[in-house]
Amino acid sequence: MKIASHLEKFERLDAVRRRLDPAADRELWIWTAMNACTHLLNAALHHCGATEEIDSFHSQIEGRYAVPDRVTGALSDSRHRPGDVMHVGQPAIDRPIPPAVERACTALKIIEDLREPYVRGNQPVTDGAPAQWQLAYSHCIAELSAALGAPAKGVK
Amino acid sequence: MRIEDHLAKAHSIERSLARCTAADYETVIEAAMLAGTHWFNILLHQTNLMPSDRDAMHAEFLAPADRHNVRATVPDALRALEEIERLRTPYVRGDMPGGEQAAAHALECLCRLRDSALANR
Repeated sequence: MKIASHLEKFERLDAVRRRLDPAADRELWIWTAMNACTHLLNAALHHCGATEEIDSFHSQIEGRYAVPDRVTGALSDSRHRPGDVMHVGQPAIDRPIPPAVERACTALKIIEDLREPYVRGNQPVTDGAPAQWQLAYSHCIAELSAALGAPAKGVK
Repeated sequence: MRIEDHLAKAHSIERSLARCTAADYETVIEAAMLAGTHWFNILLHQTNLMPSDRDAMHAEFLAPADRHNVRATVPDALRALEEIERLRTPYVRGDMPGGEQAAAHALECLCRLRDSALANR
């Protein structure tokens, strides 16, 4: 997807995340934080040239994209080089990635790994865990903002 | 996961969903998918299509034999979850126009899933 669209989606998702409580709304907080970070990650990866800024959307299947016909609104299947990533390392990127983006990926992976225990599963949340999740989110956004050369709202 | 745990998760996600507006369509679609999947798993466990120690993650990724059995037993619920999942690529990962209408449809599908599971209790 285009960088401008990723940034617009990040802003909207981050605004929702701010309305959610990471403990009481843990499922949707985790999911929304992950989606927000993924859109900003895609913007940063396109910006640094590690992935292509293509008008296509990643599907649920790794490496498979939907390409929109902007006139008819139809979507067609495509397999092409990245493109957007769905999650960290999915699909793999074979171009150099700046250190700040690598650090952002490490932080995003922390959030992605919360899905099984706390969204799909019912593992109890320990004291202090939501603060760690928020820290990972802030770290991810700060690194990606640095890579993009502009602060994103989610840093604070 | 046990039915009562899926139920608690579905209700928790739906409480959080109430904090979203129509303009938050990406999150509404995702919340419908997450809560809807918990309702879907409740149905699968209620009907013994899947034991409680095995959950479905996405309708799209059901094994062929499971899909066949689910379609034969709870076709409307399967269709509702598939409809929600199909909205994710164009409107959550993508920027196709009509996101708010898509989110409204996701909520309708979520209601169908919830009603199916509650009717089966």
